[in-house]
Amino acid sequence: MTTAKTSNNGSTACDYFALEGTIDLHSEALLMAIPAKVKHPVVRFDFAKAGRVNSMGVALLLRCFKEISGKAEIRLEGLSQMHAMLFKMTGVFLLATPAEQNKEGAA
Amino acid sequence: MKKIAALFLDATDRADWREALSEVADIVCLTVDGDLASALRALRDSTADTDFGVVMLSARLYPEAYPELAVRLRAICPEAEFLVISREAGAPPLRSLLADRIRHLTISAKHDLAGGEQLPAVIAMLAQRRPWDAASCLKTGTPVHSFELGSSEDKEGVIGALERVLAGQGDEIELLRQKASLLADELMENAMYGAPRASHGVPMFRKGEKRQMLPHEVIVFSFGFDGETLALNLTDNWGSLEPDQVLECLTRNADGYQDADECGGRGLFIVWRFLDQFHVSVQPGRRTAVGGQLHLASKLDPATPRGFHIIEEEIAA
Repeated sequence: MTTAKTSNNGSTACDYFALEGTIDLHSEALLMAIPAKVKHPVVRFDFAKAGRVNSMGVALLLRCFKEISGKAEIRLEGLSQMHAMLFKMTGVFLLATPAEQNKEGAA
Repeated sequence: MKKIAALFLDATDRADWREALSEVADIVCLTVDGDLASALRALRDSTADTDFGVVMLSARLYPEAYPELAVRLRAICPEAEFLVISREAGAPPLRSLLADRIRHLTISAKHDLAGGEQLPAVIAMLAQRRPWDAASCLKTGTPVHSFELGSSEDKEGVIGALERVLAGQGDEIELLRQKASLLADELMENAMYGAPRASHGVPMFRKGEKRQMLPHEVIVFSFGFDGETLALNLTDNWGSLEPDQVLECLTRNADGYQDADECGGRGLFIVWRFLDQFHVSVQPGRRTAVGGQLHLASKLDPATPRGFHIIEEEIAA
């Protein structure tokens, strides 16, 4: 189950989405709805409460990020070591930048 | 027992592998030293009494230095299993291995590394053409738990059982637990939705749909953990995964992951990269087994290429 919360921080002009739970095929509706909600030049995705991301979850994230990448910069926060390894090997980091690179060992 | 052949670029290359191969019996080591024709002649002469069961090629020799080598060797040893041995720094491009249908690659560090492969064990497995056995990498007496799936709803319960076997606190065990649950997820999804094929290879079920296993269908997920090594294995009785298809999928995902949202086989690619050792064995139309092992303190970087062993089992008459 994935849930997303949106908040706009006026001082940094960004959109913010917090992902929770397992990210898999069942996250499709939620992830595909996100690009239309992006209004600012920076989008932050928070994975601190996200759990397992399987290959279908990766496919959906890539599709979502591709749609956003033309109009906004994507930053990933709260990544676990596992998320960072997975995103590095599957090309997610080509579309989105890990914001806490040093802290989370995402280098 | 068939003999083992090993071909190296030069004396330095050969010396680099001497210790790793010191326990391998019946091995014929040849050094090309700039004269491939002589090395192949020596190999051909060696087949006069017994055929070679396994032919090992150093990655310093193939594919970069002698890209045609695999084709020429197959003409001499048509029945042998071909294994490319590589150091981490010089891992060969998978595309060459795919083109030459080489289904075994070992990438080892010069010194023992947690999760690293032991060449003598690999060679013994290939020489006997026996599939990988989950219990073989675990300490004696370690229980191997097996779950036969009855429906797609069983997946999370099985992952929960796996996580309980990996109970404990600390960064290493937490990371192992996370890797294990992802591996289990991918393996079961592949077996439930990728393996079942109707006529002409059309998938029978849509990914994510709730489904019961068919009356004749057997999907079994097994795992064991001995405190250091985790072994995982998934078998199905479809046997629909083709050996060449496995390597093709690893190659495609490794080559071009920027288009990966359109790219199939990503689940298998993830399984390959997260396991320390990756094993596939297929009896076409009868059985597929996909699995491998993972060390608690694995130092292997999932972002770098990994070895693999893909065996097409012979079906007894």
